[in-house]
Amino acid sequence: MSNEATLLERIQRHDQVALAEVYDLYFDQIYRYIYFRLHEPEAAADLAAEVFLALVTALKSDKPPRTSLTGWLYTVARNLAADHIKHKSRTVPLLDEIIADEPSLSEQTQWVHLMPLLTNALHQLTDDQQQVIALRFGQGLSLVETAEVLNKSIGAVKALQHRAVAMLARLMPEVEHE
Amino acid sequence: MNDEFESILDECISALQAGIPIKEILAEVPDYADQLRPMLYAAAVLADPNPVLVPTERKTALRAEYMKQVATLPQKTPTWQDKGQAIYHILRKRLTYQIVLSDLITVTITAILTLTMATLILTFIAKDSLPGDTLYSLKRMAETGQLLIPLSETYRRGLEESFNQRRLNEIEQLSQQNRAAMVEFSGVLERKGDKLWIIEGYPVVLPDDVTIQGQPQEGDTVHVIGLLRTNHTLVADTIRN
Repeated sequence: MSNEATLLERIQRHDQVALAEVYDLYFDQIYRYIYFRLHEPEAAADLAAEVFLALVTALKSDKPPRTSLTGWLYTVARNLAADHIKHKSRTVPLLDEIIADEPSLSEQTQWVHLMPLLTNALHQLTDDQQQVIALRFGQGLSLVETAEVLNKSIGAVKALQHRAVAMLARLMPEVEHE
Repeated sequence: MNDEFESILDECISALQAGIPIKEILAEVPDYADQLRPMLYAAAVLADPNPVLVPTERKTALRAEYMKQVATLPQKTPTWQDKGQAIYHILRKRLTYQIVLSDLITVTITAILTLTMATLILTFIAKDSLPGDTLYSLKRMAETGQLLIPLSETYRRGLEESFNQRRLNEIEQLSQQNRAAMVEFSGVLERKGDKLWIIEGYPVVLPDDVTIQGQPQEGDTVHVIGLLRTNHTLVADTIRN
């Protein structure tokens, strides 16, 4: 039996040590996943904590994760992040405005300086595309792992990844690559 | 074509995440370099080498809150349904064709070996048993088994004679121990009296209710089943030739 399966079985029995292990094992992952989608550290931390509290609530109401603990945690995280994005009142600045605010690209020596641009560009992707990008890049999950978490075929994830990266590349300003 | 490109893109992204420079990656796929270049630069920005983490203090506070909620969970003792499900899951994993077949073969071989060993041990222990002893029937079964093995007629007769000699020896031993028991043996009818026959040197008393099969005459070989009494008298039950 895999570690996750054992952990799942233990948390279904309300094993408190197992529940602590779940938190220690998955909190950073879930936080990074949400952070990647929101780029709001505070909100991401709150939502990550909510994911684990939701696990306790699910156990209390006798509706624990049945098959995949990772899948369950990511699904809750995805839903919470989606709700947050939907309900937050702030206005996302237009990409053009962001680009205008940025220092000229020729002055940039590190690709990471483009992150704020890309972060906002991410919001223009479809929800599925954002999921794939968050898991593949935010979590560093493999294609197979991403497909498992999203409950999609590998082919579908590959296609989503292609479309998402292509879209982001189009949204990126012209960069002198050398 | 699209699927092939998607696969190449994924491999390039994995290479990028492994720290391989974009130039080197593109050099491996020159046909797609122009198409891949902007995507990989976008991916390079996404692949943040220093992932953000929640500050330790905050994380500890959130964990404490979580563990406080965990502590409120009621203790859950497994119900019969839980136990049943657990057994079902174990069995479902165990009950594959190959595992069942392998188990069946193992159990069969073990059973055969155990039975063979037990029979051999008991037969060995029973070899000195006498009529009336608990293991005597096992001794006789072993002999019958030996006679069933298809061997030459000469060998079979030799065995029969050897077993009959054992019967006679058993009668001797029973007599020496003053024990009563049902015995049987084969021997030559040496003298045929009214109520007493001498068979293979043994005086055999014929009671009124004795069963005599055939017309045994002196000189014939007869088979005797009878009761050996503690006073060494052998009272016939059945005599057949």
